[in-house]
Amino acid sequence: MWVACLVSLIAMRPVFAADEQIHVIDRAVSVQSTGELGALTQITLPVALPDDWAATRPRFEGSVWYRTGFDRPTGVDSHELMALYIERVCSNVEVYLNGQRIFSGGRMGEPVTRNCHYPQLVTLPAALLQERGNTLDLQVQGHALARVASRQRAGGLSAIKIGPQNLLTREYDERLFWNVTSVQLANLALGVLACVMIGLGWMNRREAYLGYFGWLCLAWGLLSARVWWRNMPWDTGVMEFLFCTGFAPLAALGVQFLLSYAGLRSRWIENALAAQWVLLPATLLLAGPGRLFLMANIWYGMLALEVAAATGLYLLFTWRGRRTDFWSMAALLGGVISLLGLEFARQYGLLSIPGIPLLQFAAPLLFIGIAMRLLQVFARALRAAEDGRDNLEGRVQEITAEIERNFAQLAELRVEQVTEKERKRIAADLHDDLGAKLLTIVHTSESERISTLAREALEEMRLSVRGLTGKPMRLADALADWRAETVLRLGQANIEADWRGPTEEIEQLLPARGFVQTTRILREAVSNIIKHSGASHCKVRCAITERQFGLTVQDNGKGIPMELDGKLDRGHGMSSMKHRAKQMQGQCLVESGPGYGTVIRLTLPL
Amino acid sequence: MTNILLLEDLPEIRSWLKVLVKGVFPNSQIHEAARVHDALELVTAVKFNLALCDLGLPDGSGVDVVAALRESQPECQSVVVTIHDDDDHLFPALQAGAFGYLLKEQARELIAEQLKRMSQGEPPLSPSIARRVISHFAAQTRPQERPQNMPHVALTDRENEVLLRVAKGYTLPEIGVQLNLSRHTIADYVKQIYRKLNVSSRAEAALEAQRLGLFRRA
Repeated sequence: MWVACLVSLIAMRPVFAADEQIHVIDRAVSVQSTGELGALTQITLPVALPDDWAATRPRFEGSVWYRTGFDRPTGVDSHELMALYIERVCSNVEVYLNGQRIFSGGRMGEPVTRNCHYPQLVTLPAALLQERGNTLDLQVQGHALARVASRQRAGGLSAIKIGPQNLLTREYDERLFWNVTSVQLANLALGVLACVMIGLGWMNRREAYLGYFGWLCLAWGLLSARVWWRNMPWDTGVMEFLFCTGFAPLAALGVQFLLSYAGLRSRWIENALAAQWVLLPATLLLAGPGRLFLMANIWYGMLALEVAAATGLYLLFTWRGRRTDFWSMAALLGGVISLLGLEFARQYGLLSIPGIPLLQFAAPLLFIGIAMRLLQVFARALRAAEDGRDNLEGRVQEITAEIERNFAQLAELRVEQVTEKERKRIAADLHDDLGAKLLTIVHTSESERISTLAREALEEMRLSVRGLTGKPMRLADALADWRAETVLRLGQANIEADWRGPTEEIEQLLPARGFVQTTRILREAVSNIIKHSGASHCKVRCAITERQFGLTVQDNGKGIPMELDGKLDRGHGMSSMKHRAKQMQGQCLVESGPGYGTVIRLTLPL
Repeated sequence: MTNILLLEDLPEIRSWLKVLVKGVFPNSQIHEAARVHDALELVTAVKFNLALCDLGLPDGSGVDVVAALRESQPECQSVVVTIHDDDDHLFPALQAGAFGYLLKEQARELIAEQLKRMSQGEPPLSPSIARRVISHFAAQTRPQERPQNMPHVALTDRENEVLLRVAKGYTLPEIGVQLNLSRHTIADYVKQIYRKLNVSSRAEAALEAQRLGLFRRA
């Protein structure tokens, strides 16, 4: 994708027709000499421009003088300022017009200024420029191909153009942008990206590939500096050696990035890469500066193969594992590999791509693409992790709440169990001891009153040991118990019993104490009827509402005789019945008169 | 001539009961025991017609004596006489084969009346006991709560009907009238219910023993 984009950019470049305004000089005479212009005598060897030293004067290292002549182009207005444009001159050039030095690209001695990637635009001073027969001398300082690590930095001179300055400036600007500025911009972007990735890698040690990629970007950026860095501190041999050495860590970082991104790790490969780091400069030193280009290219090939192998390995593992990651990374890495291929073709002179340092410009773009992909993956992983953490937090809260709930239930259960056990123990003790004694009183006492009291005490004791609050009883069950007892007793006394209770389902509960007290009241009432009333018929009615329970016991006996003070007979236990009802916040009303029978109305709140 | 076992550890209560029983069954021979151990010995020696057993005794529970009687003398009617009125004590006694239960603090006349009825073949059945019996059999009929190869003891519809009415507070004679059945038939139903209660609990016990045996073998 990036490559296609780049090609189209190149294609869109406006082409300047070599019309009559611009004069292209494509031949010259030359001499290899370090002397001054005035000292030169034999500039006779004709050469065609562009003059590639690797082809025309291999192994030559030093200064070459080129001489050519030109007339002012005819189509140009005489007031127009004229300029000289050199697309490529390597490493440095000085220009003389009609014997006068008019331009210098920088230092001509070591360390030579490196203008290999810089186009040159030289304004031709109008005072020196003649209408016809101008002499142009160019002194080019260059290096032999064998002594540099890249074909781009081998000595040479391209064709020279002479024309109006405004036209040539446009061509110059464009060339400068693509050759230098674009690389600088890409490097700048790459540098920023590298810092981000290194930072991310530093913070996330488990995502080591982020760090590797960051360092890879940084190394690439530093190595790319050779494109636009003109005045270097050391001479060419040293600098070429240093730059070439830099490729070992670059390739190592690339391989490590790919492997760690694929989730692979090999101590063996790591060691081999480290060894290579030492081996590469060692072999370069052994081979000597004269075979730098050869050795460098052997190493480039090897490093490229390593990267390609790592890429293959990475893609294989990605294909097996994260299929979604495969296509985008395959496209990006494919781009990088094909750029490397193009670069090799260029280094070996198989392919001539004019001008643009494709690798230096396009590779950073691809790197940026890869970085975007990595950041996307990282951001996605981060979000997944955050979601996961949120989920986990929720689960932890849920489980904590559940544990607390369970614990509370367990504690409650435990308390209940212990209470129950203790209650049973006390119950057994009381029954064996107190119960037995009360029982003896019940059955041995001569007094009816005392035996009744003892019986009640026994009931009271039972209620206590069952738990004072006791288990509440379903009112329906209580009614059943009362009915069974009342009807049985009345039946045994030959009194007709007519018990009517609610027919619908009753859901209300009755406290244990309420049950016992009501039982006593009812029992007392029935005893009274059996013992004193002389009745033949007894009606019992139960009425239950939401908050109240009513019990009416009516007989057709002779009623309760009045005492002197107008109160009902105490011997019939009326006062104790009333007292019991009051204890339950209820009331017990007795209506009676001689010959009318007796009605007892008990009302209790529920 | 009837043989009656009287198992009671308190001397006063025992003598009180003895007088009471003698009043109801004047021609009876009363054998007294104060401990489970003594009672069990008597059971092996004497053939009883009626047994009155207390539950809480110094060397154990009267339930064991009830169970022993049920095993060796099925025709003997065991009646529990106790101070405990809660189901936790009464229900196991019924399961062990007790024919009825009496509360010690009840008036002499009431106990005498109940003993008389029991001797005539009318077993006592209170609403609370009926509720327990109903829930016992209801749990049994739920298959997930009944262990495998457990003999299924179920109540007939009529027996259920009687139990439900007792649980609602109707007396046995009343139920007889409601269902248009004689006093004896109702009494037979109740006896049948007690018998099934005993059978099912014995089956449970047997199964439990078998399970323990299996464990021991493993």
